[in-house]
Amino acid sequence: MSQILVITSGKGGVGKTTTTANIGVGLAMRGNKVALIDTDTGLRNLDLLLGLENRILYDLVDVTSGRVQYKKALVRHKKFENLYLLPTSQIKDKSAVNPEQLVKLCDEMRKDFDFIIIDCPAGIEQGFKTAIAAADTAIVVTMPEISAVRDADKIIGELGRADKENIKLIVNRIRPQMVEKGDMLDMGDIDEILSVGCIGQVPDDESVVVATNRGEPVITMNGSTAGQAYKNIVARLCGESVPFLKPQKEGFFARLKKLFGLL
Amino acid sequence: MSDIVTIKGLKYGLQLTFAKGATFDDVQANLLDKLQSGNGFFIRGTTVFVPKGYFAEEQNEALRKMFHRHGMLFSTELKRPNLAPPSRDRDAAKTSEQKLKASVEEAQKMMVINHTVRGGQEVKANCSVLICGNVNPGAQIIAGGSIDIRGTCRGFVHAGAFGDKTACVVADRLMPAQIRIADLIARAPDEPEQVSQAERAMIRGNQIIFEPVSR
Repeated sequence: MSQILVITSGKGGVGKTTTTANIGVGLAMRGNKVALIDTDTGLRNLDLLLGLENRILYDLVDVTSGRVQYKKALVRHKKFENLYLLPTSQIKDKSAVNPEQLVKLCDEMRKDFDFIIIDCPAGIEQGFKTAIAAADTAIVVTMPEISAVRDADKIIGELGRADKENIKLIVNRIRPQMVEKGDMLDMGDIDEILSVGCIGQVPDDESVVVATNRGEPVITMNGSTAGQAYKNIVARLCGESVPFLKPQKEGFFARLKKLFGLL
Repeated sequence: MSDIVTIKGLKYGLQLTFAKGATFDDVQANLLDKLQSGNGFFIRGTTVFVPKGYFAEEQNEALRKMFHRHGMLFSTELKRPNLAPPSRDRDAAKTSEQKLKASVEEAQKMMVINHTVRGGQEVKANCSVLICGNVNPGAQIIAGGSIDIRGTCRGFVHAGAFGDKTACVVADRLMPAQIRIADLIARAPDEPEQVSQAERAMIRGNQIIFEPVSR
């Protein structure tokens, strides 16, 4: 049975699109047939993260308006053969797609894919409502920062109102040093407010920026902590139980350096 | 002097009669005296009847103004309120009694919310509210009665929203951004405090106080 996931957050810039790309690639690496749907019409980015911008022929608006079959609009990933992207229009706006159209499209695509992952736009307006309409499972991405947590809380409330019961949480861009010093919300604080099952804790990692700019999701890079965290998320989505990564302590030399720096 | 104006209580107000030969000035001075003495006769909102045609129009106007200043209504139409069918009035009294009873019953009822109230969500009830879950920052709970939170309260709570000063707010961890009881407001201290025990907020001595409760 195929699953439809929506990746959402409320607040912008917390890493919805990055998460979508990485989970999509991760699931595809495990041999699943995956489709990614970008619903951030007018501000599309998912194609950039996957390095597929130059291969786009048709978009989501063409499909939902009935101009082409969705299969024509799908862009196959250059490396992972069972990963497809359904990009959205950069010209139209959020009103170009309505929830019913997306539900219909997902029902149609369901037969052909193991996972359909919908990348949701920021905000709680029309675009959000459209994006979540078809989903079985919602993955809320947040950051250890009060505004992001507040918005995630609101989004979880909205999802509840839309009868989406299956909600999971990913905390992105954690900086262990700051958490340790008490300058950043820790997982306990976030759990206490959101009280939603957490499936991922992704550290803030420079390699994410590098990967984004290269158009290769960080999950494909070996040795990246964020990549490893995304791999674990994918494993948890597949029903495996994987312990959370231990926050990386500063190494002995780094501490020594700091000590001398202080002196 | 005191007999210049005689006051007679009616069902719908006060009937004024005046001693024979009393001039308007005498009457006005006497009434003003009585109004200012505050002897309990002249309650705000009472209608005062003066027989029609007893004084000239402009004199009536002067009296009307005087009574209005003291929060009373002035009328020369003695019969008008009496015309109201008594049965209807009894009904009105009955319904207002019922309303009062209903509102008391309402306040004793309790609404149960069986989930966490999240940011942006609002619970409004005429009765008391029991929340089995947290009240997250950005959430609002407004209740006519008291509020009981079986969890952490970080949102905005207003108990006794219709003015019930006996209402209280109880939570396992009571750390609301702002708390209102009846017409009093208190806000969280700027330095967040750690709360480790269930607390109850209530009005004492015209301010909102928190006290620990065990439960």
